[in-house]
Amino acid sequence: MNSKSVADLNIGESAVITSVGDDCIDVHCHCLRLMELGFTPGQEVTVVAKSPFKNPLAISVRGTIIALRKGEAECIKINSNGSGD
Amino acid sequence: MAQATKAQNCHETGTLTEITNEKPVIALIGMPNSGKTTLFNSLTGSNFKTSNYPGATVEYSTGNLAGKYDFESGVLDSPGIVSLNPSSPDEEIAIDGLFNHPRFGLPNVVIITADSTQISRQLFLVKQVIDSGFKTIIALTMNDLLGRKGLEIDSEKLSEVLGIPVVKINSKKGTGLRELIEESKKIILLYNIEHLSSKIYKPSHPTEEAIAKLYDFTEETEQKVLIHNDKQVSIDVINKKVFRTLQRKPDENSMKLDKFFLHPFWGIIIFIISMGIIFTSIFWIAQPLMDLVDSAFSSLSSAVSNFLPGNTWYSDLITNGVINGFGSVMVFVPQIVILFILLGLLEDTGYLARAAMLIDRPLTKFGLNGRSFIPMLSGYACAIPAIMAARTISNRYERFLTIMIIPLMSCSARLPVYALLLAFLVPPSTPWIAGIGLGALYLFSLISGAVVAGIISKFKKTDEKSTFMLELPPYRTPVFRHIFKNTYYKSAVYVKQAGPTIIIISLLLWALTYFPNTSPQIETGSSNVTEQQINRIIESERLNTSYAATIGKYVFEPVLKPLGWDWRVGVSLISAFAAREVFVSAMAITFNITEDSDNSDNLQKSILTSMRNAKSTDGTQPLFTTASTIALIIYFMFAMQCLSTVAVARKETGSWKIPLMQIVVYTFMAYILAFITYNGLNLLGIR
Ligand SMILES: Nc1nc2c(ncn2[C@@H]2O[C@H](COP(=O)(O)OP(=O)(O)OP(=O)(O)O)[C@@H](O)[C@H]2O)c(=O)[nH]1
Ligand SMILES: [Mg+2]
Repeated sequence: MNSKSVADLNIGESAVITSVGDDCIDVHCHCLRLMELGFTPGQEVTVVAKSPFKNPLAISVRGTIIALRKGEAECIKINSNGSGD
Repeated sequence: MAQATKAQNCHETGTLTEITNEKPVIALIGMPNSGKTTLFNSLTGSNFKTSNYPGATVEYSTGNLAGKYDFESGVLDSPGIVSLNPSSPDEEIAIDGLFNHPRFGLPNVVIITADSTQISRQLFLVKQVIDSGFKTIIALTMNDLLGRKGLEIDSEKLSEVLGIPVVKINSKKGTGLRELIEESKKIILLYNIEHLSSKIYKPSHPTEEAIAKLYDFTEETEQKVLIHNDKQVSIDVINKKVFRTLQRKPDENSMKLDKFFLHPFWGIIIFIISMGIIFTSIFWIAQPLMDLVDSAFSSLSSAVSNFLPGNTWYSDLITNGVINGFGSVMVFVPQIVILFILLGLLEDTGYLARAAMLIDRPLTKFGLNGRSFIPMLSGYACAIPAIMAARTISNRYERFLTIMIIPLMSCSARLPVYALLLAFLVPPSTPWIAGIGLGALYLFSLISGAVVAGIISKFKKTDEKSTFMLELPPYRTPVFRHIFKNTYYKSAVYVKQAGPTIIIISLLLWALTYFPNTSPQIETGSSNVTEQQINRIIESERLNTSYAATIGKYVFEPVLKPLGWDWRVGVSLISAFAAREVFVSAMAITFNITEDSDNSDNLQKSILTSMRNAKSTDGTQPLFTTASTIALIIYFMFAMQCLSTVAVARKETGSWKIPLMQIVVYTFMAYILAFITYNGLNLLGIR
């Protein structure tokens, strides 16, 4: 809860993933799926766009753009010094 | 089972070919939107639909390798998968088919299409498939797109690292395909499938560590194989510069366009406007073409009636019944073609996946999912592929709810009905109002779907977690050739399907309105009646004592009278169960036969004239009033009249629960709402 997640990034900001689903409360949070889609620790991600109410978000990873709901994006933790790109 | 498959095939766009058991089988596997179906079409000469969104294919399709490759083999196309660990029914189909296809068993060779612009992601699946023991070949797609970034993949190096053949292909231009088949041939001839099968096993659920490790491997591989296509640049420079910037960046143009199309405010505005334009323009663009078809059929009809002896029962049947009946449905082909073209354009640009993202949030309010959007939108063309498209929704409950409401979406078979009824309501001098009316009907069907879903989801809750993870493909300039081809096949299906149905129903209806009293006895008391008047009396007497009238008056009339309709409308409504558009031709027959109509008018006008002349059963008031016509529209919006839809809903949900609910709830709703509309409008003084 205390660490930053992809959902906290502004549009255009990038960060490196530190962990996926570490403090997810729900065991079925589809974190495995997120990882299979390419959100693995060490990857750089960028927030490309946000829908109204910031949900879902469009995130670029590994050469593609993937739309995720806010709840899912919150499972993807990042290092706290997100940089504007 | 065979029946259900058949029913679906008539809505498919491609041609299905049986693969015989003795032949080797090549399976195409790959991530969503990586170009499997495009490759499949090029290899087999089929015309299955390719679209620029993930989840275009939801069913296995089979074909035979085209003759020019000089090799007998079956080819299997499959829905896209992210990994061998399925998360939705379409992925299950692909994976079950790979490991354990009911008819073909294990494939001799697996060709994996890998989008080279996102190679570190795509190799993930490749590695999983290789590790499961399959004989695998990589077909690298989208090399043209990677080339635009100034990069390319060293396929020899990749082949060396993975230990399997790698072929760069461009399915549209046909390059690399022969080589791909040569490689497949080698493997097929070299390895015995029985021998291979003992080594193939389905991997267990991967752990997080396993996934991370697999991705470490794909990244390492990517570093080795991704090269600058300008050979002068040294590898070091590439590794330092390009790797940190270019290689993992998605398509630049798409990112720029998304600033606009996915803008929190303007994105929504664009969405609403583009949907609005699409659905209102169908009417306007099509109008001149519709007039053309109309006049073609009218002249055909009058040519035939000049040729046939006048005043015989069969000349009336052929001209008024079959030609006009068929013509009145064909008039709507232009509208349907335009609907298909516009939807095709939308699919091919890559915008649809964005629209699904924008609408995810609102849809969750109704118990649906952003992924419900594409099935719902395709429901505007036809409910059958739409229900199948719902396979991409991973949450079972949301998928069932989507299937439940798809029949409410205003499918293309309803278009002829609405167009006729709107033309009746709107004064001929202002046809543009009908365009807006049609747009409003489309919107209203969406709203009613949402309301029904909302109500159901209030009563039935689920614990199953809802997710929305959707890949947004790069924007592309649509390939018009593809869209036209697709539209052509779909419209051909519409014409082919409507043709025989309409002719059979026309004959049946005619027989029901002609027999048993074929030559009624009438009294001509005074001598000053003309022959024409006598004929009319004979005709109406024959009709009033016909089977249709007898059944109609005792069965339909009591039920339909509260809605302002008579038995003739009832007969047309029953005919619409064969296919909704048949309603129009059935109206043409029942009313043209029973009412005085001027054959020199064009088709739609002649039905409209008959409708205007039609009197209610007691003969005092016009039958079609504003109120009773609007009630008819309302009825068509809700009634579950398509039997193929029922069959597919049964198959896709695996039980009768949803299809039975659809029949009972929607038919009941249709009746009640039509009743309320008719009587409500009458109370308000609108007749
Ligand atoms: N530029 C380019 N576009 C391609 C190539 N191959 C396929 N496409 C396009 O990519 C999109 C997806 O192709 P499909 O063949 O439908 O992909 P698929 O793998 O069958 O996708 P799903 O059925 O959704 O899993 C279509 O718009 C194709 O026209 C290629 O080599 N280069
Ligand atoms: Mg496909």
